Amino acid sequence: MTPIDAKSAPGPWSRMQEKSIEQLHIRLESIVVLLGLITLMTILSPYFFSISNFMNILLATSTIGVLAIAATFVLSSGGLDLSLGSVMGLSGVVGAAFAVNLGMPTPVAVIATVGAGALAGLVNGFVITRGFVPAFIVTLGMLGIARGLALVISDGRVIYGLPEWMLFIGQGRLFGIPMPVIIFIVVALIMHIVLAYTRYGRHTLSIGDNENAARTAGINVEFHRLTLYTLSGGLAGLAGLLFATRINSGDPTAGITYELTAITAAIIGGTNLFGGRGSILGTMIGALIMGVLQNGLNLLAVQSYYQQMAIGGVLVLAVFIDQYQQRQETKV
Amino acid sequence: MSLLRLTGIRKSFGAVSVLHGVDLNIDAGEVVGLIGDNGAGKSTLMKIVTGIYQTDEGSITLEGKSVLDLTPGERRSRGVEMIYQDLALAKQQDVASNIFLGREPVKNVLGVKIVDRARMKQEAQVMIDRLGAKLPSITRPVGSFSGGQQQSVAIARALTFDPKIVIMDEPTAALAVREVQSVLDLIKQLKSQGISVILISHRLNDVLAVTDRIVVLRQGTAAANLVTSQTTMSEIVSAIVGGGDVEKAAAHESRG
Amino acid sequence: MSKTLKYSTAGLATMAAVAMSVPAHAEEYAILMKTLANPFWGAMGKGVEEGARNAGVEYYLQAVESDQAAESQLNVCNTMLERKPVAMITAAINSTNLLPCLKKAQSQGIKVVDLDGNLDPDILAAEKIDITFSIGSDNVKAGAQGAEYMVSQLGADAQGAVLVIEGLSGNITGQKRANGFAEALKELAPGLEIVASLPGDWDRGKAANITNDILTRNPDLKGIFAANDGMALGAVESVFAAGKGDDVIIIGVDGNSDAVKSIKSGRLTASVAQLPYLVGKQALENVKMAVAGNDVEKQVIVPTLVLTQDVMEAGTEPMLEFVK
Repeated sequence: MTPIDAKSAPGPWSRMQEKSIEQLHIRLESIVVLLGLITLMTILSPYFFSISNFMNILLATSTIGVLAIAATFVLSSGGLDLSLGSVMGLSGVVGAAFAVNLGMPTPVAVIATVGAGALAGLVNGFVITRGFVPAFIVTLGMLGIARGLALVISDGRVIYGLPEWMLFIGQGRLFGIPMPVIIFIVVALIMHIVLAYTRYGRHTLSIGDNENAARTAGINVEFHRLTLYTLSGGLAGLAGLLFATRINSGDPTAGITYELTAITAAIIGGTNLFGGRGSILGTMIGALIMGVLQNGLNLLAVQSYYQQMAIGGVLVLAVFIDQYQQRQETKV
Repeated sequence: MSLLRLTGIRKSFGAVSVLHGVDLNIDAGEVVGLIGDNGAGKSTLMKIVTGIYQTDEGSITLEGKSVLDLTPGERRSRGVEMIYQDLALAKQQDVASNIFLGREPVKNVLGVKIVDRARMKQEAQVMIDRLGAKLPSITRPVGSFSGGQQQSVAIARALTFDPKIVIMDEPTAALAVREVQSVLDLIKQLKSQGISVILISHRLNDVLAVTDRIVVLRQGTAAANLVTSQTTMSEIVSAIVGGGDVEKAAAHESRG
Repeated sequence: MSKTLKYSTAGLATMAAVAMSVPAHAEEYAILMKTLANPFWGAMGKGVEEGARNAGVEYYLQAVESDQAAESQLNVCNTMLERKPVAMITAAINSTNLLPCLKKAQSQGIKVVDLDGNLDPDILAAEKIDITFSIGSDNVKAGAQGAEYMVSQLGADAQGAVLVIEGLSGNITGQKRANGFAEALKELAPGLEIVASLPGDWDRGKAANITNDILTRNPDLKGIFAANDGMALGAVESVFAAGKGDDVIIIGVDGNSDAVKSIKSGRLTASVAQLPYLVGKQALENVKMAVAGNDVEKQVIVPTLVLTQDVMEAGTEPMLEFVK
């Protein structure tokens, strides 16, 4: 690829790239990769290109997708949340405990689920911003604490038998689309607007880009970070709700290692691991790339070990392409 | 008339005394160079002016009124702007985003406050034009700009606050030769708009090129207050170094 | 712009053509295991192969990356249904993670089979899932057999401390084995006290650590019962590292190839061998019968065998042929 010269007009590909980022906030490369994968899988497996299979992909991606949204916000601000999977498991257990053991009505149980996640996130944020302990360590600690708490509350067993209205969240359908997919898409769109178009979102990215600049500009960095981790926890709580209502039980082992998958999806979608750049639509594409890859390989009955290798490979490739682009840009 | 007046500024950090009675006076529309060797206290003095540090003793007045009990944010709104050495730019965001960092204009869309990108771009372009700066693109991340171009963005941002005085910390330190001149031109632009500039710099040739006066800090006091057009490199260097091999130091400085 | 339009139309048309050319396929059985890392499941896979060959049926088999990947297994299950099998044979990671998939299978008329008894009958009843049959070992009995063997070695009036290492939290198989062992032990040798019953999560490393800790607390530990061989082998390493290889009786469950090697070399004392090969083979054959419309037993119990050095040296036990 020849370096772009400021004096000559940018070619059509670069123009499309710029437009894609400016208006959609998605890297064009990500869309191309996703379409390429879909084409490849369609050619390789006759079962791939069908409405019900696409629904499967969306459904399988919804839990990780919600976590990846949380990861995108936190990473964009230069932070890190390693507790996402554990908080997801804890929230599911709390919600199930409220509904089944305490007999609370559905709205209360749902609020408890998301609230448990938000509370865990708030604790994370507090220790990170007031205690000045690095986010890596704090959220790593919460990873263990939340998981342990989930096992304690549930006594190591799944809490089975959620009320009907609550089950609708995970098993119901609207216009033939599974509820978790609808919830995932709605939340993703709202969060995309927040990150890309509101002050809150711009400030999140600024803090990640140059914390000192943000501080000098008058942004209350500490308070903003606190709200980010709380939001992250709340989204993990939502993911916990989606999964628990899908399998009709609070499972204390839900979400193990999910935080890494969520971060992977965010990075494949173009989020900068070190902060300053991120887009929810991009993350969704990243999550879908992983989802299509896994679904396709499942349909081809490829061993899950090869699948893990494939995902790892895509991650490195995505970052490589990204770094390559950055270096091309600075050649101007 | 005097815009900013510092009298008898003293500052210690624990047992270390950094400033022992500094007097400084800046008139409106003046470009003053603030120079001195490492450790002379330049950075500390400027942080006291912007309000990040509190002075132990002494007074600071802006347009005749004391600003000692104002927070940095309040001093900023009175017209004291500082451009840091690292420029405090968000490298992955574009020009308009950087200029409006922290105070993005918003418009109401269906009850939600959405950032008004169109207005941001418009006003940013106005600032850039007012400065006469040449930038490759208003939508690319500023990290892809050259050092001099980034400097223009930082200055443009300072301008949007309608400052009375702009403090610039080593603006030409890391720039290519070609770009140094454009930054010096920008400083002259500021002066022509009636804005005072305090220029902190190691590069004495740049200071000689663009300032009206030069204040030399040595070991925590203002060792010299020179009129640029009437001074020489030797005089400046001897004020910085205060004895020692002045000839050699002067020759070194005029080469760089 | 029109160039892009031309290319995209061509692309979509190709995809549609490929998609519609789904070949008509023979009746297939779908088999979903936990993870192939454990040789237990590997042996079952071989049994499935043999059973399928005998029954003359086509099948496709998949597993996930670990036996904790609950949602992953659910997603794979849903994907496997896309191939429209006639039967869905699953070894669920826990009692609830596959529920949505099994319900979907049932609504599509696909026969659901519980491989190795991982599903909870109460939950299945509540979810109105009617499985065709469940095949596996009687895990409660397996635990009891472990206790019987331990008592036969230590004596009914033995006194001392015993450690139980459970399976993955929430997994019904592990619970049954641990409970079966505990109940039988209490009855047969009241003097032997279970000082700790901790979850090893089917993990060799975790079991080793638990054993270390309990050995420190109870240096005169008499026996260890682990709910599967992987964990038992972890316990073996800790016990031998502490120099107590001759003093502690260690019993596992599964009878997998690693356990067999360990027993032959005198390290692991015994393993209540499940016969996964037999389970796999029989499952396939039973499914064929069910698909053909014949009646099958709802609960097929495959017996378990206590494997020890003596048993293997004697070589007379008929079920040994199924230990792979």
